[in-house]
Amino acid sequence: LALYFHIGEREEKCIIEDIPSDTLVVGNYKVQRWDLHIHDFLESAPGLGMFVTVTSPTSEVLLSKLYGPQGTFTFTSYISGEHIICFQSNSTRFAVIAGSKLRIHLDIKVGEHFLDESAIQAKDKVNEVNIRLEHLIEQIHHVTREQEYEREREEKFRKTSEETNSNILWWAIVQTLILISVGIWQIKSLRDFFISKKLV
Amino acid sequence: MPPRGSRGPLPPLLLVWALAACAARASEITFELPDNAKQCFYEEIAQGTKCTLEFQVITGGHYDVDCRLEDPDGIVLYKEMKKQYDSFTFTASRNGTYKFCFSNEFSTFTHKTVYFDFQVGEDPPLFPNENRVTALTQMESACVSIHEALKSVIDYQTHFRLREAQGRSRAEDLNTRVAYWSIGEAIILLVVSIGQVFLLKSFFSDKRTTTTRVGS
Repeated sequence: LALYFHIGEREEKCIIEDIPSDTLVVGNYKVQRWDLHIHDFLESAPGLGMFVTVTSPTSEVLLSKLYGPQGTFTFTSYISGEHIICFQSNSTRFAVIAGSKLRIHLDIKVGEHFLDESAIQAKDKVNEVNIRLEHLIEQIHHVTREQEYEREREEKFRKTSEETNSNILWWAIVQTLILISVGIWQIKSLRDFFISKKLV
Repeated sequence: MPPRGSRGPLPPLLLVWALAACAARASEITFELPDNAKQCFYEEIAQGTKCTLEFQVITGGHYDVDCRLEDPDGIVLYKEMKKQYDSFTFTASRNGTYKFCFSNEFSTFTHKTVYFDFQVGEDPPLFPNENRVTALTQMESACVSIHEALKSVIDYQTHFRLREAQGRSRAEDLNTRVAYWSIGEAIILLVVSIGQVFLLKSFFSDKRTTTTRVGS
């Protein structure tokens, strides 16, 4: 759990995971609170918890739970798309003391089932290779799912580009027609006007 | 040399080396950076570890961001302004907490989605228990080469996914811009032309303007 960042106490911080469907996501986090007296982050603050909320691409909430200062959360995506994982502390202090912040350690793993390294070493040679192969097969399945998802996105991309292309053509035609018809109307209208004013 | 297949207690040196090699980590995070905001990440790195920071801007504005990497003493190791994509490798010269920051402070109203991948250390070898003097069996070497190939497949896939996301974001921007601009221009065209005619008519419609002046 090495990477960390700071947020304000009542702030919500979200990260985005663009993942294919049926993908398992495992997140580990640890949160520490800044203590004004010792001018450092407390190793563990009692009562401090984190709300972890996971939203699917269709704005449906997949996971919304309160965890303690250190925890693991997992979820499996049903739809492919951008899932948003949000963290917010359960601190209820209304008067936020100046300078108070939280340190969040975070580690998110997508799509792989992780090996228990010690289990591998305990078994014999054949089983070790067996387990490695299963892990590799799992990785290949993940790659395949990502490819499928990529296909869907590329199709959406192509549709957008083709729509832009035909929009431009269509609008150019419409504007030329507007220009011509308004021009004709202008001339006619002015001619009639001048004739009626006996200037022509 | 211990006979192959025996699995006695690991020699202490191998164990230490295996543990040190297991310090490899990679963190990749995609997050949204609001306008005028700066987000910093910290990581504790041991001396001598080879690390790579790679980042790419996926959506937003001109798709650029400022990035800055500092070592525990505050010395700036890497600093680039308004970069779309970059990759930076360095070896940690001392133990401590390294800090890297992404800044969108130059932008007034666009938020950017930034992806970064921070790799610390090399990956541990797949079969660390194997006494390196004896050759790996065919199965094991096949596993190792599949693993290496898969790592590079996943790496390419991630790059492609990010590039495609960026391209798609631009295409969608273009589409909305074309739509708004066309509608706007059509409206302006109509308003200006009709306005011109009425304005012109109004020049000749004043009560005191004499049509007789033209006549004489």
